[in-house]
Amino acid sequence: MATMREWLRRLSGTIRRDRADQDLEEELRLHVELLAEAAQRQGHSPEAAARRARLQAGGTAQAMESMRDQRGLPWLEDLGRDAQLGLRMMRRNPLFSAVAILSLALGIGANTAIFSLVNPLMLRALPVREPAQLVELLSKFPGEPRNNAFRWNVYEHFRDHNHVFSDLIGLLPRRAEVSGDALAAETVSAEYATGNFFPALGLEPALGRLIRAEDDQLNADVVAVVSWSYWQNRFNHHPGIVGRRIVVDGAPATIVGVAPRAFRSVLFGSRPDVWLPAAVGRRNDSRFALGLVGRLKPGVSIEQARAEMRVLDRWRIEEAAKTAPFLRQLTIELEPAGAGLSLLRDYYGRPLLVLMAIVALLLLIACTNVAGMLLARGTARQRELAVRVSLGAAGFRLMRQMLTESVLLAGLGGALGTALAYFGVDALVRIVMSGRGVVGLAGPLQQIEAHLDAEVLMFTAAVSLLAGILFGIAPAWHALRSAPAQSLRETGTAGDARSKRLFGRGLIVAQVAISLVLLSTAGVFISHLWNLRNVGLGFNRHGVLLVTLDPSRSGMAPERLFQPYQDLLSRLEAIPGVRAATLSGVTPIHGAGSARFVNVPGFQEPPMARQYTSLNWVAPRYFETFGTPLVAGRDFQFADQGQARVAIVNQSMARYYFGDGNAVGRQFTLDGQDRAYEVIGVVGDAKYLDLHNAAPRTVYLNAFQESRMFSHRFSIRTDTAPSAVAGDVQRTVAEVMPAMAITRVTTLADQVDASIVPERLVAMLSMLFGSLGAVLVGIGLYGLLAYTVSRRTNEIGIRMALGATRHDMIKMVLAGAAGLVAAGLIVGAPFAWWGRQLASRWIVNLPIDNPWPIAFGAIAMMVVGLAAAYLPARHAARVAPAEALRHL
Amino acid sequence: MSNKDKAGVLQGTLDLMVLQTLATLGPQHGYAIAARLEQVSGGALQLNMGTLYPALMRLEQRGLLRGEWGVTDNSRKARFYAITAAGRRQLGAGKAEWDRMADIMRTLLHEQG
Repeated sequence: MATMREWLRRLSGTIRRDRADQDLEEELRLHVELLAEAAQRQGHSPEAAARRARLQAGGTAQAMESMRDQRGLPWLEDLGRDAQLGLRMMRRNPLFSAVAILSLALGIGANTAIFSLVNPLMLRALPVREPAQLVELLSKFPGEPRNNAFRWNVYEHFRDHNHVFSDLIGLLPRRAEVSGDALAAETVSAEYATGNFFPALGLEPALGRLIRAEDDQLNADVVAVVSWSYWQNRFNHHPGIVGRRIVVDGAPATIVGVAPRAFRSVLFGSRPDVWLPAAVGRRNDSRFALGLVGRLKPGVSIEQARAEMRVLDRWRIEEAAKTAPFLRQLTIELEPAGAGLSLLRDYYGRPLLVLMAIVALLLLIACTNVAGMLLARGTARQRELAVRVSLGAAGFRLMRQMLTESVLLAGLGGALGTALAYFGVDALVRIVMSGRGVVGLAGPLQQIEAHLDAEVLMFTAAVSLLAGILFGIAPAWHALRSAPAQSLRETGTAGDARSKRLFGRGLIVAQVAISLVLLSTAGVFISHLWNLRNVGLGFNRHGVLLVTLDPSRSGMAPERLFQPYQDLLSRLEAIPGVRAATLSGVTPIHGAGSARFVNVPGFQEPPMARQYTSLNWVAPRYFETFGTPLVAGRDFQFADQGQARVAIVNQSMARYYFGDGNAVGRQFTLDGQDRAYEVIGVVGDAKYLDLHNAAPRTVYLNAFQESRMFSHRFSIRTDTAPSAVAGDVQRTVAEVMPAMAITRVTTLADQVDASIVPERLVAMLSMLFGSLGAVLVGIGLYGLLAYTVSRRTNEIGIRMALGATRHDMIKMVLAGAAGLVAAGLIVGAPFAWWGRQLASRWIVNLPIDNPWPIAFGAIAMMVVGLAAAYLPARHAARVAPAEALRHL
Repeated sequence: MSNKDKAGVLQGTLDLMVLQTLATLGPQHGYAIAARLEQVSGGALQLNMGTLYPALMRLEQRGLLRGEWGVTDNSRKARFYAITAAGRRQLGAGKAEWDRMADIMRTLLHEQG
């Protein structure tokens, strides 16, 4: 009880400071005075009396110190005092403080920004019951990304025959057009969900009810569940939403409830407005496929589930192999899904982890840098510290003081870094999602969100604290180790120990080494990106505008689109700045296409070797528009319409099926069709779906020879920037076909870039962070050299007096810098090599046998080192011998 | 003379001495308390400031003393300490405890001696 009361009083003492230092001092002064008077009364002289009094009373300083400790909560008070002192030291050295804080801000800010992307993607659990039990099913074909899409019959087979899942749910994100009374027609993001979806996730409705098993029947009335935010934005939280009739994709549905507020989707980054029973999707689409998520039964491990699902999956593989034997190579994989499904995680996860490693190294450079600066300043402060030690400050106390200073620096750096990250994160998300934002279209189905939320800020605070201790501990230790008596005795210049000098150089070497790793890794990522963008594309990605039309609501039947489309193409080509215009079913690197088996008379191949050939229905001038060379034969013509079927094949296709002989004039059929196509031309290979894969065998067919027009993607080759003609193109479309909807306008370059966002992200950011690291190293090196030169002014003066030239002095400083950088490069090279191997394990097709990135990093570091040495070297050359010697 | 007190003050006994002094003499400033203790101990107990004033502060924080600035007989500003009701209770309890402990020690030491 008494201790409690004392503690409270101490706390209030800390806060109210009711007995200030002055107050205490006055009390002690009186004590000493009274003692002295007593001594004087005993007959001592005033001087002797005062001395006796001081001796008997003991040191005022010590008494003050004990009372301060007693007064408040000592550690809190000391911390405040240490922090105040630290702030004072910072103000006294504004340049040092600014550089240190800025370095740390860059390092910590980069970590904060990347972590804010990693956290929701990799770590945050879904707001559902027992998220750790959720696993997702992934189909894997060798050499292709995994995907979570299974046909309905496969879903039923898995659901009804497994013994490892308490529930197996299926979902499919889609866009849906929703309209209704007082509800303007709009395209929303929807999700088809199996009847057990909500119950299995343990979700409770915010209002009404959620989708149940009986709703997910082909003959059931269509129900819809809306998201909290949709309820808020479209219905203003009106409870009357339950029972409302709406129209979804042209079919009536009834809203039965609102999903819980915290729940968005199990699909990461997806924010559906409406959930519909999977049966609706099955009715509309015969190729309906679902993403599958299982909830493990209690006690069942993911390993057991994998084993069982591999057995069950044989059924799926056999079904698929009936039509395509090569699909026997399919496998099934299971992954934890407690943080949401992994589609985006597969796509972004590893690049983000690579970036996380990079920013960690950047922070390490920043810490090392600041440690070096603190160390140099520690030398300057050694006398101050020595004085404090001899005045009775405990070593522990000084250590704490120095650590408080460094944590304070880190804290300020962290605060500034958070501000940097706040703006940086927006830019990051824009990069991540760039290329997908398209003129006049709803956003992508999946949206990465990154906020500086409480979790991220906690991370930042922890990183700052850790950084502060990391870079503070060595200088603090060094400062303390130097014996106070010794450093008081010595002059200011000779005060620092050899070990400390070595340590300072070691820090620079370490920084150069880390920086080399960062720069060479950035070099690898950049050359990887360059390769993806430029090597073996087979088309020219610059100067092409892509416009997608949607005739479904134009009232124009696909059979009657041929003439309007042909008119449109000639009108488009008449626009100034347009060189060619064409249309096609798919455009390069759009990410979706069609493929069939091809039969060539007389050509035999083993069933397992038989692979799909990619297909594209194109108009005349397609190859001209995309810059794909016509190697043999002729292009399509509008006049082919109504004539014998013709086709153009790429060189891979020609080589595979027709050998070295000329393919032109040869014939083939598509699997399941009788009609023969005659090859009229051969074109160069061009990448089709994905930049990461080599150009597949491809057949181009004339879109104008089909019975219906199903190619709606217009491509326009321009002489100027493609976006410059976008307005003219849209106007022209409206003139030719007023009812036609334009659903997408973008450029080919953007479409290509949108397919390699992770690579661009990693390349850009690794270069950015690598450059920042190099700048930090430059600053650190400059600081060390400037300091060294200023301390060696005497020596330089003597040397010059003895006949050394300015040139010699410059050479001496530059050689010193080059030596440090070279040492760093030697240390760093193996790590750079090893880092590259590590990265190549995470990112496929990384060009790792190329020595240039490491050479690039090494040269860059040398340049940085010499640039950093320039000013100190000039300074050394300007030392006037007479001046320097006078200071000896 | 060193900075150390002439007689090592047993932990806790100083509190009791201070309380007793104030209970007997009424409000006193720090120097007067020290002088009184020196006098009573026949010069054996010379408290330095680093011992006395933190103790006063501790007692005040526990609510056993109340300190207030006042004026001495010859018009000097000084901080006077007065024992509080809680201080008197504490003194009573402390005295009883001290007597009990002293009895035990005496008995024990005489047996052995």
